[in-house]
This record gives sequence, structure tokens and C-alpha cells, in this order.
Amino acid sequence: MAISSATKAATDALEVNRAPVSVGAQEVHKWLQSFTWDFDKNRTKYSTKYHMANDTKEQFKLIAKEYARMESVKDERQFGSLQDVLTRVDAANRVHPKWNESMKVISNFLEVGEYNAIAATGMLWDSATAPEQKNGYLGQVLDEIRHTNQCGYINYYFAKQGQDAAGHNDARRTRAIGPLWKGMKRVFSDGFISGDAVECSINLQLVGEACFTNPLIVAVTEWASANGDEMTPTVFLSIETDELRHMANGYQTVVSIANDEAASKYLNTDLNNAFWTQQKYFTPVLGMMFEYGSHFKVEPWVKTWNRWVYEDWGGIWIGRLGKYGVESPASLRDAKKDAYWAHHDLFMIAYALWPTGFFRLTLPTAEEAEWYEANYPGWYDMYGKVYEEWRARGCEDPNSGFLPLQWFIENNHPIYIDRVSQVPFCPSYSKGASTLRVLELNGKKHSFSDQWGERMWLSEPERYECQNIFEQYEGRELSEVIAEGHGVRSDGFTLIAQPHTSKDGRLWTLDDIKKIGCVFADPLKSL
Amino acid sequence: MSTSANSYNAGIMAKTGKDFADEYFAEKNQVVHESDTVVLVLKKSDELNTVVEEILLGSHKDQNRTLVVEDRAGFWWLKANGKIEIDCREVSELLGKSYSVYDLLVDVSSTIGRAYTLDETFTITSELMGLDVKLQDIH
Repeated sequence: MAISSATKAATDALEVNRAPVSVGAQEVHKWLQSFTWDFDKNRTKYSTKYHMANDTKEQFKLIAKEYARMESVKDERQFGSLQDVLTRVDAANRVHPKWNESMKVISNFLEVGEYNAIAATGMLWDSATAPEQKNGYLGQVLDEIRHTNQCGYINYYFAKQGQDAAGHNDARRTRAIGPLWKGMKRVFSDGFISGDAVECSINLQLVGEACFTNPLIVAVTEWASANGDEMTPTVFLSIETDELRHMANGYQTVVSIANDEAASKYLNTDLNNAFWTQQKYFTPVLGMMFEYGSHFKVEPWVKTWNRWVYEDWGGIWIGRLGKYGVESPASLRDAKKDAYWAHHDLFMIAYALWPTGFFRLTLPTAEEAEWYEANYPGWYDMYGKVYEEWRARGCEDPNSGFLPLQWFIENNHPIYIDRVSQVPFCPSYSKGASTLRVLELNGKKHSFSDQWGERMWLSEPERYECQNIFEQYEGRELSEVIAEGHGVRSDGFTLIAQPHTSKDGRLWTLDDIKKIGCVFADPLKSL
Repeated sequence: MSTSANSYNAGIMAKTGKDFADEYFAEKNQVVHESDTVVLVLKKSDELNTVVEEILLGSHKDQNRTLVVEDRAGFWWLKANGKIEIDCREVSELLGKSYSVYDLLVDVSSTIGRAYTLDETFTITSELMGLDVKLQDIH
């Protein structure tokens, strides 16, 4: 009976390379490499314009046995701490209320990213041809499943043990109305799993993981600790122990295409698009969560960004690859401007649209306003004085009948949604890199906040057809939309989102919103 | 406070307000600059605390004088020129128990640079492994 080519390959390999007598992991790893197979007829469902070399290495030489042992120890340490010491000391109730709200956003959104990364790395496993590279991607598939569970667990823990379960327990049900959700899906979903396989790797591994997980998963633990949260460092630093292999996977993806002619044509454009895509969302959202969602400040967000994104990712990853033709991202100048100002712009809009969220926001105190002005000269004149006006008009009190969104309408500062990133922006009241651009295709208008997204849209407009909330709910009254979009607590009428975290402050209900008579309008229709 | 160029708040990071903004937005800082440094984030644990205190800042301190280690609450943050190397056979001897390179990876949280293992040694280097330098297998 004829034997299969795989069996023959294994038999031949055993002829020249006997099984190791020891059980040393790296010896086994070396031995396993002889069990390769012929890729001449390899077919992938997920194509790429690049040719991925078939001799690419995996830097950590992992075998399944060591992987499973390593990960089980990580989980044992993490869950052991959470379920024993941290529960016993009532750690979840020691978290500052403002930070409790930030974790609703950070952990829920990261969970979505991890979930999509399962598919992304499965796709890369299918596209790669080098056995070691496949091994690295396969380990990452398993990691991403672990991380999805970890993020889900930390929300479960906060909901069960902590101080305000609403938003921790079921945030995803608000995804149709929350203006931050769609942008998050653009970076954490579309960017990771749609299009060219190598381009997805650049988005996920070379930029998302090698660059932005450091502020998102490492630096966040400093802010968490400073604000009384001991759970997040326990879980997130454990998540990050897998990310270093993912960064290596991303680097080896670049190694595998470095000598391909296509790299000289496309790599810098793909890198710049990925950098802009990821930074456009992460930069303002993380800055907003860290600074406006904390009581105790670690350092200005722009410094965190400058260290982890510009100096270290830029210098150590991208700068070192310069001799292989990799260039500084063309969009870096705008990204740096955003890192300084865009999170202040976004907080202002997020606070104005607070009823559509699944978390509570708080206006800066006088002490915080001083901190902002000291670290971002010009902050008070742009933002601080507006917050004073909003507070004086009773924005926190349901009896006031005032939503900050009214301030934008009264002062003729329309809020648009960037078609590509889905990030809201107000071009007439912004210090970040956003400016209004409007294009029309087949009778439909599209707004853009920057040239980088506009270029991406021009090359494949069919990719960016997601309706924004102004288009989706045009003509609808706000309280109706909130009720329909599950934005209320378990009593059925109190909003999950609130414009304060005060224990003494009254909570807003659907009736309070209905009295204001706020109706969605698409700003593009009036242009 | 450390005066090393590799410390957490070195250079521009020590500046505040307008001084920080002037340097941050300076024309020369609108493109990335190549760096020969590496960064390592180690999750605090019994084993990693020993690695940091007894080996990297202890017996091996003279091997790389550019190494800076800072306590950032839940993690140790390390930055050095060139490379940082940890031989787990030494860690094992110090801990008095079996401790492989995969045990070390349980608590290595993040890397900026090219990190790899070879036998029982963990290395993070500024070298471009796989491009300028071949990645080795155990002999």
C-alpha cells in the first residue's frame, strides 16, 4: 500500500535525525523542525501581495508541552491572587470610582480586540509557509483565547465584587448607540482581520501589539495602581507576558518579506496606514481614559506616548529597520499633535454625548484643571473655561435640563464622525490634528478628519460603509434611542451612563433625557 | 534620581509645560530616530525580584553599566544599550530549584527589541535577529 507523502517525509526525517533521548524542550524543538513538509502546492484562503519566505524562525522555540505548562502557571498565579488575597481585602471596592469607570471601557474594548486577534492569527497561520512561523502564530491563537477570557473575567470580577456593576457586566449591549464602539471595531476588528494578510499582521502585531499594547496593557497598570486598583496589574501584566511573543511574530513577519520585491513597493505605505489607523483611535481614547478617568495622575499622557510610542517603538523597532528601507511613518507629525491634544478634544465630545455611553464621566475638578494647564499650556482657555460654564449650567444635575451637547449646537460647533476611523470630531473646536474634509460618492456625503484616512477611503471606499450614529438615528429622539439601544440599568429607566460619579448626586433617567427633547441630526445634510 | 540617559524620565521626559512642548514639537523630533537600546518589562514575582536584585543589579552589574532598572508599581522597567541577557541556570542555582527559560517567560511582560531564547538563556538585543544575525538552534 502506498504511504502518504507526509508519512514518507516523517519516515525519511527519522532516518537522518533520530528522536532525542532527553526531553529538553529546545532539543525537541530542533528535532521537530525536521518534520517539515512540501509547500509547493500550499494554498491559502487568505492571500497577500507579499511572498512570505519559508525559512522564517520563531524566536522563543516553544513546544506545546512547555507552552501549556507556562500558561497554566500564569493562570494559577493570576486567579490565585484574585480569588484569595484581593477578594479578602475587598480590593474592588478600594478602587477610585473614576478609575472604576475607565476599566469598564478599557477591559471591555480590549476583550473585543483579543477576540478578533484569534481570527487574525488563525488567518496568519494559514498564510505563512515556514513551519516555525506557523508555530509562532499558532501559539498566539491560543494566547488570544486566553486573553479574551481574562478580559471577560476582570469585568466579571469588578461587576461581582466592586462598586458599580452596570457597564462592567454587559457593556456590549450598548454597542449600537455608543460612539466609541464603532471606532474600536475599526482598529480592533477590521484592522486586524480584513484585507491583505501581511497588512493585517502589520496592524495587529507590528503596530497594535509591539507599539500600543505597552501603553494599553503595561502603562495602564501604573495608573491602576495609583488609583487603588490591584486587579488590573495582576491580570494585564499577565496578558502582556504573551504579547512579547506576538511582537516577535510581527517582527518575523517583516523578516519573512524583507527580501521580497513587494516590500520595497508597499511596506512603507502599509506601515503608515497601520500606524495611523491604530493611533487615530488609541491615542485619544487611552489618553482620555488615563487622564480624565483617574483621580491620581501618574504623568501627562503625552509623556507616556512619547516614551512608549515615539522614542521606544519608533527608535527601537522602526528606526532600527531603517537600513532595510523602513521609513519613519509619514503621518507621525499629525500623530504627535494628536498625542498632545486629541484626548482633550475627545473628552469634550464624549462628555457632551455622555448619555450614549456605558460608563460614568466626571468633569475635571479645580485641582485637576491646574494640573492640565501646567502640563498642557493653553488647556484652560480651550477646555477649562467651557467646563466651568457647563458646570454652572448644572450639567451634572438631572433637574437642570442641560446636556453639554446643547452647548455645541448653540455655539455652531457641529460634531462629525470620521468615516474611516469612526472617531467623532469637532473641526471648529479642536486643537488636535483634525480638519474637516467632505467627499461625495453615489450621492452620499462622507466626512473625514485627516488626509491619511481620506487616502485609505479613496483607495477602497467600499470598505468603509459603516453607518455612524448621526446617520443611523437621524430624526430620532435621544431617550427613545437609549432605551432601544439597551443603555439603561436593570430598573429599566436609569441610564447606565451618568455625568458624574458622586454617591450623593441624583442619577439621570430616561424621563430626564426626554424632557430635553434632543433629536439626532446628520451634520452632513446641512452642508 | 538616576541621571542615566536610559532612565524612565530622562531627557525630554524631565521637562514640563512649555519646555516639554517646545522640544516635543521641534522639527527634528517629527521623524523617528534609530535607537541602540532595548526595554524589558518584568512582572514582579519572587523569582523575578531575585533576578533583578541579585543578578542584574548584583553579580552582573558590571556587564552592562548602561542598564537602568526602575520600580513602576506592578513591574520592573529595564532599559539598556545593546542587550540584556539572563542565564536561567544561574537563576536556578540562586533559587535552589529547577528554573528553566520557560519558567522565566511566565513573568517577562514586555520587550522592545528582539527577544529570543537559546538553550537556557533569554536575550533581548538591539541586533536585527533573522536579518543581520542568524537565529541559532541548540547544538
